[in-house]
Amino acid sequence: MTEKSDIESMILQVGLGDRAAFSALYDATSAKLFGVCLRVLNNRAEAEDALQNVFVKVWQKASLYSANGYSPMTWLITLARNTAIDKLRTRRDGHVDIDDVHDLSDGAPTPEAEAVASSERAQLNRCLQELEAQKSEAVRRAYLDGDSYQDLAVRYDVPLNTMRTWLRRSLLKLRECLSR
Amino acid sequence: MSPEEDHSDDTALAGEYVLHLLDDAERAAFEQRMAVEPALRDLVRDWDEQFSLMTQDIAPVTPPAAVKARLQNSLFSDNTAPRSRWWGWLMGGVAAAGIGIGAILLVPNLIPDAGPDPTYTASIAAEDGSLIVAARFIAETNTLQVSRQTGNALPGRVLELWLIADGADAPVSLGVLPDDLEARIKVPSALATQMAKAVLAISDEPVGGSPTGAPTGAVLAVGSVADA
Repeated sequence: MTEKSDIESMILQVGLGDRAAFSALYDATSAKLFGVCLRVLNNRAEAEDALQNVFVKVWQKASLYSANGYSPMTWLITLARNTAIDKLRTRRDGHVDIDDVHDLSDGAPTPEAEAVASSERAQLNRCLQELEAQKSEAVRRAYLDGDSYQDLAVRYDVPLNTMRTWLRRSLLKLRECLSR
Repeated sequence: MSPEEDHSDDTALAGEYVLHLLDDAERAAFEQRMAVEPALRDLVRDWDEQFSLMTQDIAPVTPPAAVKARLQNSLFSDNTAPRSRWWGWLMGGVAAAGIGIGAILLVPNLIPDAGPDPTYTASIAAEDGSLIVAARFIAETNTLQVSRQTGNALPGRVLELWLIADGADAPVSLGVLPDDLEARIKVPSALATQMAKAVLAISDEPVGGSPTGAPTGAVLAVGSVADA
């Protein structure tokens, strides 16, 4: 298992234009980031495209990494998740049939796989559980499935403004719980 | 809490931003604020750190090897020639000096014409224009005419000229540039045949030139050799 600090030093080396470090960083992290892209996009070809875009951004932005205060895996996972969500939104704007896309999801990992809960993860779970079930599910759906307020309003059958008020209050409760 | 107060809360707003729930206008406005408000960036980072924990459950999936190949091809498509060693030297030096590779500009009329037409020319230039040396290579006589247009050696230092042949592993010294603005350098015939497609570079060296036979100081200027 690659140590967290190894990932950090690889990112810093990539920031200096080190191609060997870039290759090593890809080898160490691409499987996790591909998993994230697959989870969000549910489509192998799109996830491959997204993964490639993620690492182009890593190459371009690594020199800025040391200034942003992110832990290395969070930085990489955030890049991957955001890239995948952007791609998902582009697809939705293009009116690709979502049902067709979901049919291709067989290769995607199950969400429960390799659930090794860290203490931070346990705390997040506990705080999500303090929210009403629908509200914590809405937060998860926004983060991992790229649901918009419109998607969530339809899903929970509430007006858009109500959905937004719900979710904002849920975020504040979550923040309060996490800071305890 | 009223919806109005709610809306003004940056904590919730940062969470909405991270979740990609803001519409385009809200998102743009938030990013403008984020550019000048470190506290907002901290809120975003905190949410990113928290929400990214949700991906701990996601199993790694090894991507097809073709993805890495496409990626490296798209980023490093110039890496076909086996020039990694000198290229690393060059890029490292250029980065350290805060300059880039000079444009491959031909400046034949910058040198007052004398003698036969050149076979190749090069403009060896710092990206910021602080050092520009025009070069003309006369194949008949294996002579490189260099003309320093702009820039000087640092006090107590000299400028050394290097030839990096196409596909070569290491730069070869063509000599230290004299204080004179114009100079003629006799190029050994073994090197002269390497001039086509070569790269010329100038480094900062101690008086007398590099003591090691390889560049020791910063790479100040670079230029590709082109047909005249």
